[in-house]
Amino acid sequence: MTDDVAAEEAANDDLQALTGVKVFELGIAIASPFVGRNLAAHGAEVYKIESPTSPDIVRLIGSAWLRDNEELAPVMPDSSPYVSEMNADKKSVALDLKQPSGLAAARQLLAECDVFVANVTARALVDLGLDFEAVRAINPTVVYVQLPGFGSDPESPYYPFVAWGPNQAPLVGLDDLTGHADREPAGVATIAPPDYYAALHATYLVLAGLEQRDKTGEGVHVDISQFEATIALLGPFASEFSLTGNGQSRIGNRSLWYAPEGVYPCQGHERWIAISCEDDEQWQSLAAFAAKGWATDARFDTNEHRMTNVEALDAAVAEWTADFANEDLAHRLQARGIAAHIVATNEDLIGDSQVRERGNYLVRPNSRFKRELFTANMHRLTETPPINVRGGPSTGEHTVEVLTEVAGMSEAEVQALIADDVAFTMDAPELQVERPSEQWLHILFPSEAEDTRDLA
Amino acid sequence: MSGPLEGLKVVDLSALAGAYGTRLMASMGADVLKVEPPQGNPMRQLAPFADGAPENEASLWWAYLAMGTRSAVVDPRTDEGAEQLRTLLLEADVVVDDQGPDELDELGLGYAAIARENPGVIWISITPFGRSGPKRDWKLTNLGAWAASGVLYTVGFEDQPPVAPGGPAQLALHGTALNGAISALLALRVRRQTGRGQLVDLAISEAALMVSPETGTTVFLDDRVHRVRSGNRRTLSRPFGLYPCSDGYISILILMPRHWESLANWMHEAMGNEAATDPVFGDMVVRGETMELIDGWTEELCGSMTCLEFFQEAQRRGIPVTPVSTIEALLTDPHLEAVGFWEQTELPAGGEVAIPGPAFRSNMDWWSTARAPRLGEHSTPLGWHTA
Repeated sequence: MTDDVAAEEAANDDLQALTGVKVFELGIAIASPFVGRNLAAHGAEVYKIESPTSPDIVRLIGSAWLRDNEELAPVMPDSSPYVSEMNADKKSVALDLKQPSGLAAARQLLAECDVFVANVTARALVDLGLDFEAVRAINPTVVYVQLPGFGSDPESPYYPFVAWGPNQAPLVGLDDLTGHADREPAGVATIAPPDYYAALHATYLVLAGLEQRDKTGEGVHVDISQFEATIALLGPFASEFSLTGNGQSRIGNRSLWYAPEGVYPCQGHERWIAISCEDDEQWQSLAAFAAKGWATDARFDTNEHRMTNVEALDAAVAEWTADFANEDLAHRLQARGIAAHIVATNEDLIGDSQVRERGNYLVRPNSRFKRELFTANMHRLTETPPINVRGGPSTGEHTVEVLTEVAGMSEAEVQALIADDVAFTMDAPELQVERPSEQWLHILFPSEAEDTRDLA
Repeated sequence: MSGPLEGLKVVDLSALAGAYGTRLMASMGADVLKVEPPQGNPMRQLAPFADGAPENEASLWWAYLAMGTRSAVVDPRTDEGAEQLRTLLLEADVVVDDQGPDELDELGLGYAAIARENPGVIWISITPFGRSGPKRDWKLTNLGAWAASGVLYTVGFEDQPPVAPGGPAQLALHGTALNGAISALLALRVRRQTGRGQLVDLAISEAALMVSPETGTTVFLDDRVHRVRSGNRRTLSRPFGLYPCSDGYISILILMPRHWESLANWMHEAMGNEAATDPVFGDMVVRGETMELIDGWTEELCGSMTCLEFFQEAQRRGIPVTPVSTIEALLTDPHLEAVGFWEQTELPAGGEVAIPGPAFRSNMDWWSTARAPRLGEHSTPLGWHTA
């Protein structure tokens, strides 16, 4: 092997899908930050533009374990686990965009970037002079993706309205679809699907935009309304309503297509199992295993009959599962070809053999905490795998580095911005602490050395 | 069809866990060929159905999620069919495969065999739990994916079993499909530099896990607070969740200090509630600790008006409030109507049906409402649109 070939192979070893792609991200909470997070795992340089004068919500959430600790107050904005969940592997550039010189610095950086992504309101982008036409004027081949709640058409009725992920879900119909048929909507309360599904659309569209740009050299504008993007996942129900006037609503955990499907109680407090029999074969297998006479019960002999008699069926299955430990039953059912899984708690997930084996949670260093714990990227390209190098940044941690090395500003210019409180650097960098999770990481990573501090 | 994916040859062997993604790729110009067994893709059997259409052409799931694709019937269990599929796979740029991890391998048509002769192939393997680990051969449905992710445990009322988010909408599978499309485009960028394709190992379970940080597994290791389902309100702060108006439910979400301030001023004006404006309640943690008080004030305010009144007045005051929409409400929503969101497509067996419009707007022509194919409509000649 010649040196040239060796060097090329070494370079290819580091090659990822988005190596060399620079992303300017003006994001808050989840929808836009999650896009940058996905891109960063595949090699993009993602600059999180933020400001302590108008902090991202993840900076405000903080952590209960730091409350009332004045000495560690500067650590608070870095301490929410969402900082890393949404911002791992990014660089933070802290600029007050409401000051002309801060905006000018941002525009200088933007001129060097391939991608612009933002979920601040469309109106805020116009006010900042960062709407698509303005950005294209300084960066003609930009791939510009915005994902405000209701799109960027100022003529549309909800344009000025505010809605965040958790109250987008009710608006787009997800809450009405969630819950038991005989009760008020249970709501999706604990997660915010529209944020994530808008973010996944946006991630795809950034990549499509890069394809378009690379083929034609055009600047690309994508405007995602979180409202519309999530409704796009409900197409069959909209079609049904238009044909029959029937509006699909919540049906608990039951399936539109087969029975039984549901969540059934097991031994212990709040221990549940999800079981689905997608076809007759799985049902026969379940009936044989349970040995409760279901196999010969005329109420349950066909899928049609099982769906008609679903109340009796669910009651029978629930009575039967109650005598089992849920994990044990899930293994027994899967061994018989039946789709089943425990309804996992956080404790279950932390001890889950599949989660461990697949490395779904990672620890990586960052500048504030010895190590950060966050969810791994799941786009597993086997030859060019996702790489998560570090936890989320502290506000302004990379301001000087990025503005001088990427935006082409002089050190003196950047220092002047800092002196004027227009640019900001990491607050109290000497404060480095351990998270409480540190003492529990051995549960997640049992196969590693006993001293889990070597993990990173 | 034009678009950035024009000329891209996609063999789609998948059903619900891949379809939304290949449908997006088709609308950007990819030639997506659904290779179906003689009895048809499983999506063709999914209710609801269009009345009067032939059995394989009636599913509204198929009609929506297969839009813009083509269909060829190939039976890989026969010698002729296996050879036909092999030829297609050898010509493909992208394969989307949701069979079990070993199923196509057993026919000699898996990634390893095909990539030897077609090193550029990008193979999106979609399996329940991924191609490795102790659960690699387990089965999984949409419900199971939410169960395994930790989300299911946290959704629902305390006195009833936990309940899947989005119920019958199959969100975990659509999310998987979106991730399939993302992965395909990532791998295409790599291929342009190396000339080589690759296997992508997508797990449905991980597509649910990736959208569930809010149920707190990583937070849990810090705070050791056991997450439980809390009905339709969230414990993080208040008001946060569903509240009753005089004629239905609305959703209120207040985290930002300015949003609370605005609501507190409204309470003061409408109810003479001066206590709400005490600065101590500006702290979202304090509002979480005093949730019964905050909820009581909020219910008093919203119980005095209809959803629509509350929605519009709250938005006028800049407070994040939305109604709880039904499917019917969405089809008649004034905003969606004004922006012309709803569109029509043709059903495979004829007739028009309403569908959601584009999930995004663009200065590019990246959208199509071309109908879904009839079973085997493009079996002969078997091959590519662009060949």
